[in-house]
Amino acid sequence: MTPGLLGNVALVLGFVFTALGLLLSLFAWWAKDARYVEAAKRAAWLSFLAALAAFFALEWALLTDDFSIAYTAKNHSTKSPTWVKFATLWAALEGSILLWATFQALYTVLAARKLKDYWMAPAVLGTLLGIELFFFGVMLFVANPFAPVPHPPSEGPGPNPLLQNHWMMAVHPVLMYLGFVGISVPFAYAVAAMLARRYQSWVAETRWWTLVAFGFLTAAIFAGGWWSYEVLGWGGYWAWDPVENASFIPWLLLAAFLHTALVQERRGMFKTWNFAYITLAYAATVFGTFLTRSGVIQSVHAFVEGAVGPVFLGFLLAVLLVGFSLLSRVASEVRDVGGLNLVSREGLLLGASLVFATMAFVVVLGTLFPLIVEAATGDKVSVGSPFFDAVFAPLGAVLLLLMGAGPLFPWGGIDAYAARALSLMASALALATAVALLFGAGFGVALGVGLFAYNLTALLAQAGRGVSAWRKKGRGALAAVLAYLTRARRQVGAQLVHFGVALAALAIVFSQAYRVDAQKTLEIGEQARIGGLEVRLLDLRAKDEGFRFAVIADVEVEGVGVMHPRLHYYPTMNSPLAAPSVHYGLYNDDYLILQAFDTEEGRWATIRLVRTPLVLWLWIAGGIILFGILYIVFPGFSWGRKRAAEVAA
Amino acid sequence: MRRLVLLLLFAALALAQTPTGEPPPDLSPEVFRIASELRCPVCQGESAAESNAGVSQEMRRQIAEMLKEGKSEEAIKQYFVERYGEWILYAPPRRGINWLLWLAPLIGLLVIGYGLWRYLKVAQAREAELALSEEELKALERRLEEE
Repeated sequence: MTPGLLGNVALVLGFVFTALGLLLSLFAWWAKDARYVEAAKRAAWLSFLAALAAFFALEWALLTDDFSIAYTAKNHSTKSPTWVKFATLWAALEGSILLWATFQALYTVLAARKLKDYWMAPAVLGTLLGIELFFFGVMLFVANPFAPVPHPPSEGPGPNPLLQNHWMMAVHPVLMYLGFVGISVPFAYAVAAMLARRYQSWVAETRWWTLVAFGFLTAAIFAGGWWSYEVLGWGGYWAWDPVENASFIPWLLLAAFLHTALVQERRGMFKTWNFAYITLAYAATVFGTFLTRSGVIQSVHAFVEGAVGPVFLGFLLAVLLVGFSLLSRVASEVRDVGGLNLVSREGLLLGASLVFATMAFVVVLGTLFPLIVEAATGDKVSVGSPFFDAVFAPLGAVLLLLMGAGPLFPWGGIDAYAARALSLMASALALATAVALLFGAGFGVALGVGLFAYNLTALLAQAGRGVSAWRKKGRGALAAVLAYLTRARRQVGAQLVHFGVALAALAIVFSQAYRVDAQKTLEIGEQARIGGLEVRLLDLRAKDEGFRFAVIADVEVEGVGVMHPRLHYYPTMNSPLAAPSVHYGLYNDDYLILQAFDTEEGRWATIRLVRTPLVLWLWIAGGIILFGILYIVFPGFSWGRKRAAEVAA
Repeated sequence: MRRLVLLLLFAALALAQTPTGEPPPDLSPEVFRIASELRCPVCQGESAAESNAGVSQEMRRQIAEMLKEGKSEEAIKQYFVERYGEWILYAPPRRGINWLLWLAPLIGLLVIGYGLWRYLKVAQAREAELALSEEELKALERRLEEE
């Protein structure tokens, strides 16, 4: 038995079991016989085991340096540390698809366990298995991770050095795929709901799954931002690169969906919109993969290109076709009834989802605009951060305004408490903006400060409302706070998420507006001012780390201590990679990059210093958002259905 | 000893490093700010401030020089546009087809907003259609009591 043989056998078995499960689901649908659903669930289990076997086969090959497989021969090196060897599985195309397929199989099995509704079950399972079949098919026929090499080499180049420069390589892609794959569950439920004509309940039933996917995507985006901050060596965390955008689009659409879904859950409205949002959100994950892997768009993330581009394009079209052809039927059948007062909880939820959807539209258009213009006029244009920053600032401000007010409003209208809180929040906004202006902040920054104060006030007002409701029921002060925190998990979690978003916005505003970036060449022993800080170059040294060479500068920075920015030389790269040294601080991050050094005598080094305020709070905000999502999700699967039952009753 | 290792390594690396006898120039924050709005011509979607490719370093040096000469930000950008075309700007100039891009948020808000408004209007009309008048309600109540 070799890893290659095990892997190929597992892929074939996985494909066969998935196809079998899909056939059984179809049969269950047509024959209206639940026994076939049970059989299909077993087939899904078997295909999950096969995917796991394939996953372990590739890990086996990587960890035992088996170069008879093309994937290891191209992407693996015996010199890599063990964790890099393990993570090499998703460092290139074929392995990434294997990881995706494994997660898809895992989610299918988990979702299958919770399928109780015999009207929807065959269609949910069938959709998930159909998606899984696509990934097994890609691996078998287009991008086989276990393709053999005729003459196995004894050493390979290892994964892209940009990837193995940081341990995030082991984390960020996994989170991203867990998020992407997670959206397939609500999408499958939506397809099933459209097929089975049960338009209302799927939203509440998939809320848990949607939040899990949203949580993973959020974590992946923050982790990716931090990774690029630590590794890419320019002191930024988000560059509006096409591939970053591709991960942001599903996040935005999912956010839009989460907000209108609340209105559907409560008032039975926006059924067609929710189908459209979830279809687009899932399609966006495929679209992202198509963008990365097809090479249509230039990006720092384009580590691999291959024949999968057209295949993913086909899959994308299939997803859109299925979603929207079903949607056209829904649109002709669903007759939502009801007036909607725009000054109410549901009105503001609608506003939020309108802004999110618009943001998604802007990101899609901005990312594709160079292609569109080139096709239409033959001209070449670039769209990057100056455009996106300019456009997202006002949209973000509107979103922050809606975000604070929304949860305060009762359903259906406004009440005295909300009105009082709103006037308080407006005062906080005006006051904080004015104070920031007095301190010399620009208008944008001042507004950012004001909006943070506004949201902070909103948070307190919401908590106050929740607690006082419990006090009126006769609880003591402490007991009321506890009751509020533990009984209204959904509300409290949502407020934590909203607070995290407000904090993240503040961090983004400050770090964008007051970032200082300067560069200076110092002789060893020389001291100078860079970007307002006294900096002394103590020494320059070299180190052989086996799989790479490192040149390290020892730099003393005023008020920080000695920092060690490095340049890494990998045997496979002809130019060095900068490994910045970051000092995290509550007010400012100091970020040093060794830009160049005297290669002849080692007497001088060029140091770039990036000083960015409040970046640390961006990562803290990410943590708060995730904690908020966990707070809602943690109790488990079951309340989705309980909640649905409550609403139905 | 360590000095020796360093020198040996430097000798080995001299080939890999871009050949520069002189150290790179000192750059002010202004330089990086301008460079961040320009594309690195040889990179895969990185700005001239982010990238460390030779061209980007050269661009930053040129920006620093032009700033020293007292040129304005606009003039500096114009210089690069003349050399590379408008493609070098990360924010496309506001004219012609590019308006489509700059107005995208407005277009998005209006189109999606119009869709939502249409939806709400229809839903509201249905509600009005289905709603019962006072008399109908009373008639129904009476029937319930009778039965």
